[in-house]
Amino acid sequence: MSASIVEAFLARIYVDAQARARFLSNPTVEARAAGLSPDEVEAVKQIDQVGLELLALSLERKRQKQCAKGRGRKYFWRKAK
Amino acid sequence: MEVLAAGAVEEGVVAVGVDRFGLGWRPPLALGILSNLDRIDVVEVIADDFFNASRNERRALQTLAAQVPVTLHGVSLGLASSVAVDPRRLDRTARLCEEIRPLSWSEHLAFVRGGGIEIGHLAAPPRCEETIEGALKNLSLARTIVGIAPQVENIATLIDPPLSRYDEAAWVSEIIRNSQSDLLLDLHNLHANATNFGFDPMDLISRIPPGRVRGIHLAGGKWVGKGDDRRVLDDHLHGVPDPVYALLEKVGARTEPRLTVILERDGDFPSIECLLDQLDRAREALARGRARALRREVAA
Repeated sequence: MSASIVEAFLARIYVDAQARARFLSNPTVEARAAGLSPDEVEAVKQIDQVGLELLALSLERKRQKQCAKGRGRKYFWRKAK
Repeated sequence: MEVLAAGAVEEGVVAVGVDRFGLGWRPPLALGILSNLDRIDVVEVIADDFFNASRNERRALQTLAAQVPVTLHGVSLGLASSVAVDPRRLDRTARLCEEIRPLSWSEHLAFVRGGGIEIGHLAAPPRCEETIEGALKNLSLARTIVGIAPQVENIATLIDPPLSRYDEAAWVSEIIRNSQSDLLLDLHNLHANATNFGFDPMDLISRIPPGRVRGIHLAGGKWVGKGDDRRVLDDHLHGVPDPVYALLEKVGARTEPRLTVILERDGDFPSIECLLDQLDRAREALARGRARALRREVAA
């Protein structure tokens, strides 16, 4: 498994609503385009769609909360300098 | 009650014979915590809150650490990844450890970024050989740079991680057994995953050597989704549910009394009294488990 490619692919469909929608409507094409191997493409076609939607919603709400707060755990996701 | 003084972050130093109970340090809880140090043995500080903190903020943290034993908890290293952890993030953790000398430090078995995208929260990686290997490399580097191995925490996930070849219990235990990192066992995360994906939470607990469980996290959550698609979300905004106390009792029956038990609450804060009551329930649950183990030993 090209694990780093898989992680990048998952990160994208978890946080990017458009990428997620493209993937769900055409998983084979999107997964191939992301560089996943044929076996990986077959595996992600079986993705837990309920979980994916719930996770995406949860992440979106967390981002909204963090933006609204404007402080608190403000350094969490800042890139290391 | 303390066996060791605060500030013992050294390889091989262990607190023998004492369980500690405490709260996650959050600014809205500060007054309540500082007013009740007779009922709180330890506080857990989020490391990432202080990576870019001002000198005054860091001095305040040092003052806190001088008053009460502190554990340090990271959320953004992304240790359970095939991608190498950024050494600059570990440098910051190391610097913080030097400044406040915590009892221990910990991170999650999660990936938090990929392909330049920050997920913004903890995500479960595919449970496979590659992420086990990546986690082991990252844990080794973390230990080298910080000077002591982090405890690692099992995470909650709403999605069954795709491309997994291990179940959670096997994946976590493989990492624990092959690293020098002990487990920070988050019982609500375990309860949530077990509920969402239909497995016995004791399967994971029983696969970890009892001596390798060193910390416990307690929290609450809520149901999200509808109908058959409902899942438990670990949101840290609700009280600790009964099944989590029941799991704590079972952990108590298996482990030596040297656990650090932290109640995490991130918002919708109730009164400090309510949180302290939950800590008392945790003390009672652990004590019941310990008593059960003792009776079993005597009977044998």
